[in-house]
Amino acid sequence: MIILERVNKIYHIDQEFTLHVLKKVSLKIRKGEFISIIGPSGSGKSTLMYLVGLLDRPTSGKILVEGKEIETFNDDDLSSLRNEFVGFVFQQFNLINKLTVLENIILPTIYSRKRLDFNPKERALYFLKKFGLEGKETAYPNKISGGQQQRVAIIRALMMKPKLILADEPTGNLDSKTGLEIMKLIAKLNHEEKITVLVVTHDIQVASFAERLIEIKDGKICRDTKVR
Amino acid sequence: MNYLFFVVKNAIEDFKKNKTQTFLTSLGIMIGVFAVVMLMALGLGLKKYINDQFAQLGKNTLFIVPGKIIQGGSFNVAATLQSVKFDNRDLARIRKLRGVEEVAPIYSAQTQVKSSKGSEEGTIIFSNEAFFEINGFKIKIGRFFDQNEVIKRSKVVVLGSKIAEKLFGKPDLAVNQRLSVSRISYTVIGVIEPEGGGGFGGPDYDNYLFAPYTTGYIFNPQKDFSRIALQFDDEKFTLQEIKDSIIREMLKRHNDDSFSLIEPGEILRAVNSIFSILNFVLVAIASISLVVGGIGIMNIMFVTVTEKTREIGIRRAIGARKKDILFQFIVESTLLSLFGGSIGLGLAFLLTLLVQRFIPAYIDIYSVLLALGVSSFVGIIFGVFPAKKAADLSPIEAIRYQ
Ligand SMILES: Nc1ncnc2c1ncn2[C@@H]1O[C@H](COP(=O)(O)OP(=O)(O)OP(=O)(O)O)[C@@H](O)[C@H]1O
Ligand SMILES: [Mg+2]
Repeated sequence: MIILERVNKIYHIDQEFTLHVLKKVSLKIRKGEFISIIGPSGSGKSTLMYLVGLLDRPTSGKILVEGKEIETFNDDDLSSLRNEFVGFVFQQFNLINKLTVLENIILPTIYSRKRLDFNPKERALYFLKKFGLEGKETAYPNKISGGQQQRVAIIRALMMKPKLILADEPTGNLDSKTGLEIMKLIAKLNHEEKITVLVVTHDIQVASFAERLIEIKDGKICRDTKVR
Repeated sequence: MNYLFFVVKNAIEDFKKNKTQTFLTSLGIMIGVFAVVMLMALGLGLKKYINDQFAQLGKNTLFIVPGKIIQGGSFNVAATLQSVKFDNRDLARIRKLRGVEEVAPIYSAQTQVKSSKGSEEGTIIFSNEAFFEINGFKIKIGRFFDQNEVIKRSKVVVLGSKIAEKLFGKPDLAVNQRLSVSRISYTVIGVIEPEGGGGFGGPDYDNYLFAPYTTGYIFNPQKDFSRIALQFDDEKFTLQEIKDSIIREMLKRHNDDSFSLIEPGEILRAVNSIFSILNFVLVAIASISLVVGGIGIMNIMFVTVTEKTREIGIRRAIGARKKDILFQFIVESTLLSLFGGSIGLGLAFLLTLLVQRFIPAYIDIYSVLLALGVSSFVGIIFGVFPAKKAADLSPIEAIRYQ
């Protein structure tokens, strides 16, 4: 589904210093997989995830989405892909606090140029109910708990029926019990909805939900194992 | 819930969150729009006032005045000071012309007027019975003087409403009373309806006295006139024909540059053009404050973009394009500016209502449209740069921004 070929990412701090964050990373993400990326802080996990999520372009190397090289896509094309193909879940939830829960969830459909085959509000309310957030639709994100916020963020990620969910430390701001619930929820999406999932974490317990474990160190993939 | 609703709601939520900042940011536009609309209101009021004053004079009215007053479309102020005067022979010649219906000689004097109640400084206009008709005066009480009284040099006087009030307490009490003008005793025979002139350069007829010109020779031993007013038959003759025949007649006794024909419409056009230019200049100066206000908005919008870096990152991550971000910020600056503009307009509206009691002023639909149009325009123009900055943020940097 997504293929990275010898991807390099280099940050130019200033004219003298450069930071080689990803070094010739090659990776194949197959449809329906549940992957965890673990590694020490600063090893380039988030950088890799954002490249897969099309928020950024590599310094060199190729990224192919469904066989198409992203080099040929312009900024609008990438925005549309992020909108329709990918769903993001972040450590800090990244909800917009001045919008209500419902408005946050509907936001991706506002930016969509595609004809939707569902009613955004109905779909949002369906998920809210399913995820135990009934009645919270008019609440503001900073007025609900962290676990609830993360569930709202997951619903937002699901709105456009994505093929891929990318989660960067989704449990990082939650206590271990709530974190576990969130991971169960994400695992369920992978099993039942057949959505491909990639979770970045440095928590081995969180990583153990995945069927494939990728270890990254110093910008290089040092281990890629099937766990299950 | 559609796209535009989201964009507008988003901006309004931001304004609600930062009420003080919103108010201060739009203050510049507020003051700018207020100043521009107020100046336009005063300009319009003044123009309307002057036009109303002239409207009383019929379009079949002409004046003969000394000197060349209008030269090449502009007023020649020096000409009005020329001492050429007209006399009874001019009057007789003009009266004989075909198409001329009424002719009134005019001269005036500034004198002390005394009644039994008190004494006032006043302007007295000496003319004949036709003067009232040419000026479209209406009698309030009593009557105008007639041709007979002009011939007989009757010592009668008609008063403007204000001077009548000053001299006798009430206009009704003035009729049949006596008053003295430079120690000559006159009988008041009538008071005219208020004309509402004066104050802005026009003659303040309400404070004038009117007497037969023949009785005024004591002030005017040379028996000459400073002006001749006339009315012509505008059904059988065109303005140009009348003008031509008057000029031909006048040239027999006067030089070309010693008299002018003035039609009220011509004065009106000249005054209007002066006012338009003056008003335009004032409005243009006031518009500078709009630019300053716009720069204020731009400044704050740049700050806002930085504050919202993370929000921009979130929106980009879930699929917003550059143009969506651009649009969002332009809408925000436009609403901000429009908000200031509307309040400025409202304030101007209130002040206009207030000053209308004292001086003419009014806000027309064009001022409203201009105010709202200009504030939207300012918002868009000065919002473009901050919005461009926001749209060009790299999604990855924005989402990582703390
Ligand atoms: N825009 C940038 N400019 C310069 N350096 C950057 C930039 N973004 C990331 N880096 C650096 O790249 C390196 C990798 O960052 P990354 O966020 O991918 O690490 P990570 O593995 O996700 O770490 P963590 O577990 O702490 O989240 C870090 O040293 C970081 O400081
Ligand atoms: Mg990270």
